Amino acid sequence: MKLSLVSTCVLASAAFSGVAFAQSAEKIKFEYWYGLSGQLGDVVSQTCDRFNASQGTYEISCVGQDGYANAVQNTIAAFRAGQHPTVVQAYDAGTADLMMSGEFYPVSKMMADFDIEIDWDNFFPGISNYYASSTGELFSMPFNSSTPMMYYNIADMEAAGIATPPATWEAFEEAIKAIKASGKECAFGYEPSTWIDMEQFSMAHGIPIASNNNGYDGLDSEYLYNTTLHVKHMENIKRWYDENLLEIRSTQGGLNARDSFAQNECSFYFGSIASHAAVGLLVDGAFDWDVAMIPVYEGTERKNTVVGGASLWVLSGKSEDEYRGAAEYLKFLMTEESERFWVSNTGYIPVTKTGFAALNAEGFYEKPPYKGRELALASLTYTDPGPLTRGIRLGGFIQARSEWTNEVQAALQGTKTMQEALDTAVMRSNDVLAKFARTYRGKELP
Amino acid sequence: MIERTPVLNIVTHAILFAGLAILVIPIYLVVVAASQTLPDVMAIPAKLLPGDQLVVNLKAAWQEAEFSTKFGNTLILASGVVVGKIVLAALTAFGIVFFNHRLRMPIFWMVFITLMLPLEVRIVPTYAVAANALSPFQAILDWTGVSWLVQRTTGIEVALNWNLLNSYTGLIMPLVATATGTFLYRQFFLTIPDELVEAAKMDGAGPLRFLRDILIPLSVTNMAALATIMFVVGWNQYLWPLLIITDPAYGVAAVELSRLVPNMNTTGGDVPNWHWAMAGTLIVMLPPVVVVILMQRWFVRGLINTEK
Amino acid sequence: MRRAYFKNNWVAALVVAPQLLIIFIFFYWPTSQALYWAFTLEQPFGGGSEWVGFENFQYLLSDGRYWDSVRISTIYALATTALAMGMALVLALFADRQLRGYKGFRVGLIWPYAVAAPAIGLAFRFIFNPSAGVASYLNYAFPDIWNPVMNGDHALTMVIIAGAWKQVSYSFIFFLAGLQSIPRSLVEASAMDGARVMRRMWDVQLPLLTPTVFFLVIINITDSFTDSFGIVDTMTSGGPARGTNLMVYKIYEDGFRGLDYSGAAAQSIILMILVVALTLFQFKYVERRVHYS
Repeated sequence: MKLSLVSTCVLASAAFSGVAFAQSAEKIKFEYWYGLSGQLGDVVSQTCDRFNASQGTYEISCVGQDGYANAVQNTIAAFRAGQHPTVVQAYDAGTADLMMSGEFYPVSKMMADFDIEIDWDNFFPGISNYYASSTGELFSMPFNSSTPMMYYNIADMEAAGIATPPATWEAFEEAIKAIKASGKECAFGYEPSTWIDMEQFSMAHGIPIASNNNGYDGLDSEYLYNTTLHVKHMENIKRWYDENLLEIRSTQGGLNARDSFAQNECSFYFGSIASHAAVGLLVDGAFDWDVAMIPVYEGTERKNTVVGGASLWVLSGKSEDEYRGAAEYLKFLMTEESERFWVSNTGYIPVTKTGFAALNAEGFYEKPPYKGRELALASLTYTDPGPLTRGIRLGGFIQARSEWTNEVQAALQGTKTMQEALDTAVMRSNDVLAKFARTYRGKELP
Repeated sequence: MIERTPVLNIVTHAILFAGLAILVIPIYLVVVAASQTLPDVMAIPAKLLPGDQLVVNLKAAWQEAEFSTKFGNTLILASGVVVGKIVLAALTAFGIVFFNHRLRMPIFWMVFITLMLPLEVRIVPTYAVAANALSPFQAILDWTGVSWLVQRTTGIEVALNWNLLNSYTGLIMPLVATATGTFLYRQFFLTIPDELVEAAKMDGAGPLRFLRDILIPLSVTNMAALATIMFVVGWNQYLWPLLIITDPAYGVAAVELSRLVPNMNTTGGDVPNWHWAMAGTLIVMLPPVVVVILMQRWFVRGLINTEK
Repeated sequence: MRRAYFKNNWVAALVVAPQLLIIFIFFYWPTSQALYWAFTLEQPFGGGSEWVGFENFQYLLSDGRYWDSVRISTIYALATTALAMGMALVLALFADRQLRGYKGFRVGLIWPYAVAAPAIGLAFRFIFNPSAGVASYLNYAFPDIWNPVMNGDHALTMVIIAGAWKQVSYSFIFFLAGLQSIPRSLVEASAMDGARVMRRMWDVQLPLLTPTVFFLVIINITDSFTDSFGIVDTMTSGGPARGTNLMVYKIYEDGFRGLDYSGAAAQSIILMILVVALTLFQFKYVERRVHYS
């Protein structure tokens, strides 16, 4: 028999600490912590309201964590205290840490346990592969899936005499040179981003980021991006920065790349398709713009890009009622209506094949403001995911991204060459991997 | 002033004005930004004269950051820290000054050491403790085998849990866990003449009576000094609330302020609303500045005495 | 020291118990936990840990990145201390003359102490913003001359200025108090010997202030290792290219964002040792010579 002997202080502290006891008289409550903020966060909040309005048994309480990193960090802390939410929106970089902890309820198992029918094959393989075990069992529920796109200003391109959006990086360089020549100050608003410049770049080119097929095959991986085409790409970026063909536009400095584009200051920017709705709202018809797939270098056979964004994890240690509620919420999100709500209000793309087909059939993607988003799916499904384009399963990836970003910043500042910067980043990131492997010694990647 | 030095006086005033200006100019710029519209704030080059949007922006910032809740919380935090420190410091100092027992010095040193390590240096493990404040006792019970014993004999598993995250207790307690103020009181108590104690004993008063009727009234000025400092410290807390508060209902002013402008860790992108952020800065600055200005005599005194 | 005491030692135990309990739970226990984590590899979700002895420390002490952080913290500490104390000393010396408007100046120079670190950080981040704040004037005139977003040195300068602003009032208060505790008779005697104001400052007041100077140096340096968090977090988040990655910020980054609890714990231990050493030094060698009447 197991009884929990809780100190009397808890009762007193409940008065002080305002701990909300999870059972209310009528509805079963459970918590969901999400990382998106700003406009996207608002829409997440609305999905919660819609779920609550759609049924009367469960009540979901959604708390925005103001950033993916915060969401993961706070969840871990709460977990250690037994105060964690039932559902958490964790981003791609946190996948390995969550997986290795084992402290989650795989969604495929959960839905089966509660007899909820989900067609797991309905998910686009490029999306589900990222969150599945080596046996194909989905651990977390794909939710906000995105992929990077190239946003371009049509008017500026025409003024520079370019008819079609550049499909290769060589053509891209020509384009920004032409745009600068035509008088525009900022041809390309750039913000260093591992996701776009390193991860997705490698996917599209079919080159490895790390050994062991980007970490899927074992915990003893090592990074390889300082030896691939990625180096040449970053050296080009540095050269364009030195030649004033691109400008650094970052959140830290005020107007980031997206807003620079939206305010018609810069002609190109690379960003997640998720911002498609926000850009539309910000531009508000002031100029013509569109998106295209990210370029590849000449002579490369393009491969599929992978999903970014985040997925929904169900954490262990909660009651069955809460799990039921979570299952209902996930099921709710998978309905066609919910998918439509989500993709209409944000730039994210549908995660299911049927969802996409339905929207396509009714011409959803033929007119603004949604026109162009189907290209994101084209990018994700360009080829079937291969061993190198399944995704990334590397521990401590948050730190690895931070290493890359800091080193690239140093290189852009001119304190070291790009090759040196990437070498240093790889070396330190390998240390992180080794530490990760040791921390979980004896365990295996699920 | 001993002699007449008209030129030097002018120089003195000039220097003092310059110093004042250096300190005030940033605030002036904040006020300017807080009173402009967003396009004006972002204009290049920046406009240096105040606009007319001050009240509008103040209101917007107040609502955007939900300062009404946050101010309430911060007030509770600051008051809690004030009360906590004053009470604990007085009690502890009392216990080590007016009694003669062998543990006096060891206790003094144990408390003294806490001065050396402010919270910032021990955030990671303090955070783990805040997650479960009874974990030390749990661990002790585990090590000494008591919990094993209890389980074997009664079958009850001992699992102590007291979660302080997202609570006022959690906000206040770790900040009260240092010895600031204990020495202030100790110094002061050491100046209490022996005769007072003797007289109290002769009158048959016990130690607690003495504390309540004589010491406390005498230490009112010290209390005011300590209170002023601790209020400012409590109001301005940033790192600790940043870590343990995830529920917006418990947020505090300083942390909320930083959320008015996106930084590198925000996902989902936002336009930086500098005018609101600057208005927010003014709002958050106001209470402690007012307190310091009104109570400056006590404040200065407290600052000097707590550092001894 | 002969004193009159109360006999009832149980009461003594009772009154000190609350503080002792709190400092045990929130100070000693966490500190020992930090020690434990520093010697193991702790899993973020708490599933287990592995003993690694001094490895975490070895890794840190041989890590160029860590020493960068130490170097940046030291530069920050020395620069803010020098700037703040220099300005505070000058202002205190002249304010002490107590000319007309003395009360006003005093208040005016004290209140910045009450401003929260994040508020200062945010204000200065705006002011020094290359594209939105006052600093944009510089960039307008000389394009790209000021860029704390991309240039680590510029960012550090910005952070130092903000930090110094924060610390001026504190030093000013102590200097003024120190000056006012110098007996008038000394100053008057020196005046009667023919020393003018500036001479008196140089020969009488400054030397007698030396203990205060030492005291403040240590306090400022110690505080700059810890107080700086709010400023860095709101201004630069440790960047760019880790240019403002102070030790205390690195602990937060590695521990809470990077989920490297053991590394953060080891760094905490080192920082603790540093702060304790500085404080002990201050108490032993400096405290003796400082006196306020």
